[in-house]
Amino acid sequence: MHVPGWHEATKKLQDEGKIQMVGIIQEQHPDRARLFMQWKQMGWPILIDSLDLLGVSVVPMTIAIDENGIIRKLQMPLRDAIRIEEEFVNVSFDSAGKPARAEKAAAADLNRLRAATNKGTAGAWRSYADALILWSDSRQLDAAIHSYRQALKLELEDPATHFRLGVAYRKRYDSPLRQPDDFRNASEQWSKALDLDPNNYIWRRRIQQYGPRLDKPYPFYDWVAQARKDVLARNETPAPLSIEPGGAEFAKPLRSFETDEPTKENPDPKGRIVRDPGKFIQVETAVVPPAISPGASARVYVVFSPNRSNKAYWNNEVDGLAFWIDPLEGWQADKRFLTVPNPRETVSQETREIQFEVRCPENAGAGAVQIPAYALYYVCEDVNGTCLYRRSDVAVRLEVKPREE
Amino acid sequence: MFLAGSILFVLSMVGFGLPVSETRFQVGETFPNLALPSLQDGRPTSLAQFRGKKVILHIFASW
Repeated sequence: MHVPGWHEATKKLQDEGKIQMVGIIQEQHPDRARLFMQWKQMGWPILIDSLDLLGVSVVPMTIAIDENGIIRKLQMPLRDAIRIEEEFVNVSFDSAGKPARAEKAAAADLNRLRAATNKGTAGAWRSYADALILWSDSRQLDAAIHSYRQALKLELEDPATHFRLGVAYRKRYDSPLRQPDDFRNASEQWSKALDLDPNNYIWRRRIQQYGPRLDKPYPFYDWVAQARKDVLARNETPAPLSIEPGGAEFAKPLRSFETDEPTKENPDPKGRIVRDPGKFIQVETAVVPPAISPGASARVYVVFSPNRSNKAYWNNEVDGLAFWIDPLEGWQADKRFLTVPNPRETVSQETREIQFEVRCPENAGAGAVQIPAYALYYVCEDVNGTCLYRRSDVAVRLEVKPREE
Repeated sequence: MFLAGSILFVLSMVGFGLPVSETRFQVGETFPNLALPSLQDGRPTSLAQFRGKKVILHIFASW
């Protein structure tokens, strides 16, 4: 791998203080980079750029910067590491007239930036939102999302703002302050950003990270299992991950769009189970990407949250949540029937998630599509209250893009 | 004169063709002094803190 290769090749120079290695990471979940650094035993400083403020569109990128902060080499391949001492370390670079005064790094002044939004420019709103994301915690995500939306009202199609708004929505989705449709909104914003700037590799990978497995799946986080094993073998505790990778973040080889044989039949074909209109379980869906071409696939996420204001609980003493998918004519789903196993407690209120993929037929017409599906589950009204069996109909909505002529 | 003119023309076409992000960093320019949170301690950090040292910077993702 590129970065560990550079680290190993320059270890002596680093230990001798002749090179300072630094990293800037482009990740939705930066704690995974912490595990990666621990695994490869690399201890140099890392800066987190989850919003892609630097606007890099290619990674990995290795840059040589001299003592005055001036870039001397760009996009160095790994093989340049062997010559780095003679071509960079031992070279005295001319700095006449170039170096700017180095300012001490400081968190942005949030009060000043908020006041600046009174100017009413897109840039002021965006800078305020950026600072909230960088320097505040999840309690300020509502304000950050609002500020990015204000910026977009003023500059409707700025791709970077769309991307950052997607990052903010996904951060809120991953936080205890999640709001309905956060993941769907993240997916839609990232798709919009990529439509506007299709050459941005970081943005494209963000959709692939959560999107359908491709014909050549990308192993985003397959290394995590090995990393944990190796770290434990050294008698260290692996750095914790706040959100476990899953789904399309692992490259399960996909030779063809495999549909498993349904081991069960439609459990409620006549729709006789009483419907839950959201009184007990609130359901939201997100599709990544939200719009696909004929013949392409999308990954569907369905999230079930017990309605806490109605004191709803999962009843775990019986079968777990079951989900049935009824693909439309010509459409395929990689699964028709899914279940979520129950935890050990007799009742619980955790959010449950299922994922599956759908593929659009080659001859599909353009327009909005709704794939029918439903969930069956056991819920209780309050911890010791009445327990019921309910069905929730779920409309999986996506767009089919017009065929490219 | 004609040759210089056509070289300038070609360079300007290249400038229009490349997406902005590809030309963001230039050899001979100062690396942006952007403060970002440190993964190690969350504190504001920028490349400027490493002045006086020769830096090898990796912009990357763990995937």
